[in-house]
Amino acid sequence: MIPFDFDYYRPDSMEKAYECYQSLSQMNKRPMYYGGGTEIISMARVKSIEFDAVIDLKAIPQCNTLEINNGYFVMGAAQTLTNIAEFNAFPLLSKTVKRIADHTIQDKLTIGGNLAGTIKYREASLPLMISNCKLQVMTVKGITEIPFNKLFDGRLQLESGDFLIAILIDQNQLNCPYSHVKKTRNEKIDYPLISMAAMKDGSTLKAAITGYGEKPCLIPEKILNHKSYSIDQKIKKIITQLHSECKSDLSGSLEYREFVLQNILQELLEHFRPTDFILK
Amino acid sequence: MESQLGKDIVRVEAKDKVTGTAKYTNDLDDSPMLYAKLLTSSCAHAKIISIDTGTASAMPGVKAVITAKDFYILCGSLFRDRPPLAFNKVRYFGEPVAIVIAEDEEKAKKAVDKIYITYEPLTVVNSISDALKKKPVLIHEDMMSYKKSITEVYPEKGTNICHHQKIRKGDMEKGWDDSDVIMEGEFSLPQSDHAAMETRSTRCIVMPDENVIIKSSSQVPYAIKELISKYLGIPEGRVIVRVPLVGGGFGGKATVQLEVLAVIAAMHVKGKWVNLTNTREEDLVTSPCHLGLNGYIKIGAKSSGKITAAEMRFYIDTGAYSDTSPKLAKAIAVECAGPYHIPNIQCDCYSVYTNHPYVTSYRGFGHEAHAFCLERTMDKLAAKLGMDPFELRLLNVAHDGDLKPTQVKVTTSNTGNITECLNRLRNLIKWDEGSRIVEGNHIIRAKGISCLIKTSDTPQNAGAAAILTFNSDGSVNLNCGAVEIGPGMKTTVAQILADKMKMNIKDIFIKMEVDTQSSPLYWKTVASMTTHMVGYAVINAAKDALNQLLNLASIALRCPVSDLDYENKMIYVKHDPSFYITFKDLVQGYKYPDGNSIHGPVIGRGSYVMNHLTILDKETGKGKAGLSWTVGAQAVEIEYDTRQHTYRLLKAATVIDAGKVINPKTARGVITGGMCMGLGLGTCEDFIYDENAITENTSFRTYKMIRYGENPKYLVDFVETPQIDTPYGSRGIGEHGIIGIPAALANAVSLAAQIDVTSLPVTPEYIWREKTKNDSV
Repeated sequence: MIPFDFDYYRPDSMEKAYECYQSLSQMNKRPMYYGGGTEIISMARVKSIEFDAVIDLKAIPQCNTLEINNGYFVMGAAQTLTNIAEFNAFPLLSKTVKRIADHTIQDKLTIGGNLAGTIKYREASLPLMISNCKLQVMTVKGITEIPFNKLFDGRLQLESGDFLIAILIDQNQLNCPYSHVKKTRNEKIDYPLISMAAMKDGSTLKAAITGYGEKPCLIPEKILNHKSYSIDQKIKKIITQLHSECKSDLSGSLEYREFVLQNILQELLEHFRPTDFILK
Repeated sequence: MESQLGKDIVRVEAKDKVTGTAKYTNDLDDSPMLYAKLLTSSCAHAKIISIDTGTASAMPGVKAVITAKDFYILCGSLFRDRPPLAFNKVRYFGEPVAIVIAEDEEKAKKAVDKIYITYEPLTVVNSISDALKKKPVLIHEDMMSYKKSITEVYPEKGTNICHHQKIRKGDMEKGWDDSDVIMEGEFSLPQSDHAAMETRSTRCIVMPDENVIIKSSSQVPYAIKELISKYLGIPEGRVIVRVPLVGGGFGGKATVQLEVLAVIAAMHVKGKWVNLTNTREEDLVTSPCHLGLNGYIKIGAKSSGKITAAEMRFYIDTGAYSDTSPKLAKAIAVECAGPYHIPNIQCDCYSVYTNHPYVTSYRGFGHEAHAFCLERTMDKLAAKLGMDPFELRLLNVAHDGDLKPTQVKVTTSNTGNITECLNRLRNLIKWDEGSRIVEGNHIIRAKGISCLIKTSDTPQNAGAAAILTFNSDGSVNLNCGAVEIGPGMKTTVAQILADKMKMNIKDIFIKMEVDTQSSPLYWKTVASMTTHMVGYAVINAAKDALNQLLNLASIALRCPVSDLDYENKMIYVKHDPSFYITFKDLVQGYKYPDGNSIHGPVIGRGSYVMNHLTILDKETGKGKAGLSWTVGAQAVEIEYDTRQHTYRLLKAATVIDAGKVINPKTARGVITGGMCMGLGLGTCEDFIYDENAITENTSFRTYKMIRYGENPKYLVDFVETPQIDTPYGSRGIGEHGIIGIPAALANAVSLAAQIDVTSLPVTPEYIWREKTKNDSV
C-alpha cells in the first residue's frame, strides 16, 4: 500500500505530458513521470520517495516506438524490457536486459525507467554507453536529439520536466560481435556485483560496467585496445585506474569486486584478441 | 478392497488452490473491519525516553493508538521475557513499539508516521561474542525475575544466557585416552528467515458477549487460545481461534506474536474486526526468524576411524527474546552425536540473547545448523585419517543397544536404518566414479555428503484427537486440529482413515479449517509429528466408530460381531456376504422394519499421546525427548570454477528412512522442498547487520533465496524400516529434507576448492577469501 494520495495523469501526446508537468509544478505539486512503475511503487510503499502526481508516459505513441527506421533502431522510452528483448534488434541489449530482475518484472520495467530511475545499476545503459546512439528528449524547446554520452553520466541528466522519448541506435552497430557478463553475490537474479557489456566495433573493443561503484562507467578504451600491452598489463592498469570507483556493499567487498573484474576482463580479452572477429 | 496407502492421492485442497479460490487469513471477508499498523523500533538497543502519540491520535479515521503504557504484560511460550509492545526499552530493530488502529490501512499507516519517539541509544550486543564478554551489556537486566512456563529453562544470572542445556555421557578422560587422533573445528551460521509465501496475518474481534474471536495464519491455534487466555485473563472458552489454509509456516507461524497485539487492539474497539497483517519487511524482521549458531566441536577417534570421544559447545544467536530458543538448545544437545555412536560425549548448548530479531522454530529445529558443524567435522576427520567419508560414517553409525547422548537405547524400530540409507545414497550419486572429478576447462565436479537425524522434541504431554461424524449416505466427516500448512497432511490423514475404514477416499470429507471451538485438540502442527499423532488419533476414532457400527450391525443381522466384517461402507456376514447392511442404514442409528429405532447418530472419537517421554536431567541430559528418530543420508553435487570460485548446483539427493511412505508423491515433494530450503541456507540466505545491529536486508530485493530456475536435479529415495509403534510404521519426514543439505554442500565445496568451509552461506566471495588466505600462508 502507498500511504499517501496522489493524482494520476495519462496524457496521449508529448506536448500534453510536458504541459501537465509544468502546470503541476507551478501549482507547487510534485509530479513524477511514470513508466512501468516498479521502482515508484516499491519505493513509495516504504516512503523512500513522495510525490503528488504521476504522469504516465505509456499512452504516448512516440514513447512506444519499436522499429528499425531510417538507419536507426528506435526504442520508445516506455517500451518494456521484455518487448525489447523479444524484438531482438540489438542482441547485446537483449541479453543485458534479460538479466535485469526476473521475467515478471521485465514485463513491467521500461527502458526509460531503467535509465532514469534511482536504482544505481541502470544495467540497460551499458550497451548504449558503448554504441553510437542518441536520445530523443522532450524539452522546453520541443523534441531535441542529443548524443547518449552527452546526457548520460551514470544517470540521465534531464532538466526538470524534460523526459526521454526514445533511444536511437545506429543500425550499423546492432550486430557487432559482443559479450555480456553479469556476476552477482551468488544468485542468478540479483543486483550485480559487476555487469559488463562489451562489443567489438570494427577493430575497437569497447566495454562498460556497472555494479562496481556508484554508477555505470566505461572501461578505458585506450587500455583495452593498446597495441603493446599484454593482457595482464591491461588488466592491472584498468583495475588501478578504476580503483577509486570501486565500492563495497552488501553484494560484495571492494577487494572481491576487483578480483571479479579481473576475471571478467581476462575472459573478455582472451575472447576478443585483436584478430578475433567471431561473434560470441 | 485395495488400500489407499502408498498411493499418490491428489491433495484434497488442490483444486481450490490452483484456481485461486482457496482462502487464506487475509482473504477472508469480515466486516466491519478496522486496520492496525505497527510502529516498530528504528534502534536495536535503546531506552525509550518518550513516545508522543498526540498528533497520531488526533488524525482523521484513527480509532486508537496503543503503547506499552496502555498495556503491559510479559509473553513467551517457555520463558516470559517479551512485552508485546516494547516497554521502557527496545531490544531489536523492528520490535513493535506502538499500534495504531484506523478505519483503513492508509490512515493507520499515516498515523504511524506521526508518532514521535525519543530514544537514548544503548551499546548494542551485535554478536554472540559481544553477548558472552566478561562484563557484558545485559539485554535483560531482570532476567532472573521472569516466570518460566516449563521446568526446562535454566537461565544464568548476570549473563545474556537464558538457557543452558547439558549432555554428559560416559567418561571423557577415557574417551580421549582411547583416541589416536583429534579433530577440532569452529563453525558459524547466521540468522535467516522462514520467508513463507504468505506473510503472517491475524484478525480479531471482541464481541459484545465478550467472546474473543481470532483468525490467524498460525500453526498453533490451540496455543493461541491457551496463551491469550493466560496472558490476558480471559476465560479460555471465550477465546475462539479459527485457522484457514496457511500459506507456508516452516515453524515461523508457531510463535504467538501478532495474535496478542491483535487482541489488545480489538479490546480498544470492541465489536469490530481488527486486521493486523505483516508487510514483507515486518515479516522478515519484526516477527521471529531462524536461529544463528556458533559451534565448537572436538572429536577423538582411533586410527581405525572409530570415534571414542566428543566435546561440543553450541551458542544460539537467540536474538532479543527467548521464545523457542531453550527448546532449540535442548534439541541440538539431544542430537549432539548425530546418528553416530559416541561412547563418551559432553555437550553444552546455550541460548544467548543478542540485539538481533528473536528466533523461533524453523524447519529442522536446529538440527540443520548442528548437522553443518558435526558433518563438516566428520569430513575433516575422514580426510585426516585418509578414509572415505562414507566408510567413516558407516563405521560409526549407532546400532541396536548403543546409547544415545541422552542414554536412551537405540533399537531398529526407534532409529531406523541409516546404514541402508548411506549405501543407497552411495549408488544414487555414483560416489564410486569419484567425489572430486577434474573436468578440465577450470571446472571441478565435486560431491559432498551428510547424514541427518531428528527426533520430535515435543512436550511430554503433547496430544492429538480426532472426531468422525457421518452423513446419511454413510460417508464420513473427519475433524482434527492439524492445520494445513502445505504438506498435504489433511490428505494423508484422510488416506489413513480410508484405509482403516476400508472405504474409498472419495467417501471421506475432511474439515480444512481448524476451529478451536469445534475441532478437537492437536497440540501444534509442528515437529513433523502430524502423521504420527493425528494419524493415531484418527485410527483410534475409526476403531471407535467401527465398534459402534459393528455392534449395531450384529443386532440388525442377528449374529455375533465376531461373524462380521466390513468394506466399502458395508457390513456383512463373513461366511455369507449376501447377508449385509450398509453404513447408511447404521450411521444415524438402526431402524427396525417396524420403525422402532436404536442408538442414534454414530460419532467416532480417538485420542493419542506419546507415552514414556521424560524431562531431561539438568546435569547430564539423561531422559527421553522423543519416541523415535528419523534418519537419512544426503548429498550435494556441484560444479566449481577454479578461476572464479563460483559454483553451480548440479544435484541434491536424499535417501531417508520414512518407515512407511503413505503418499509417495507428496512425500517426495516434502523432501525436495526441504532440500531446496537447505540449499538456500547453504548458498545465499542470511541476515546482515550493520555496526548498530540494524538489519540491512529487509526485503526480497536484498534477502536472497533460491529461485525456481536455480534448482538442481533432485533425487529422492526411501528406505522403509517400520517404526512398530506408529500408524503403519511411518516416521516423521516433514522437516528432514533440509537437515543435512547445508553440510553436504559445504563438504562438496570444501572438497572442490580444497578449503575448510566453516561458515554459511558459502558465497563465491567466501571461497575466494579462504583461497587467498591459504595462498598467503
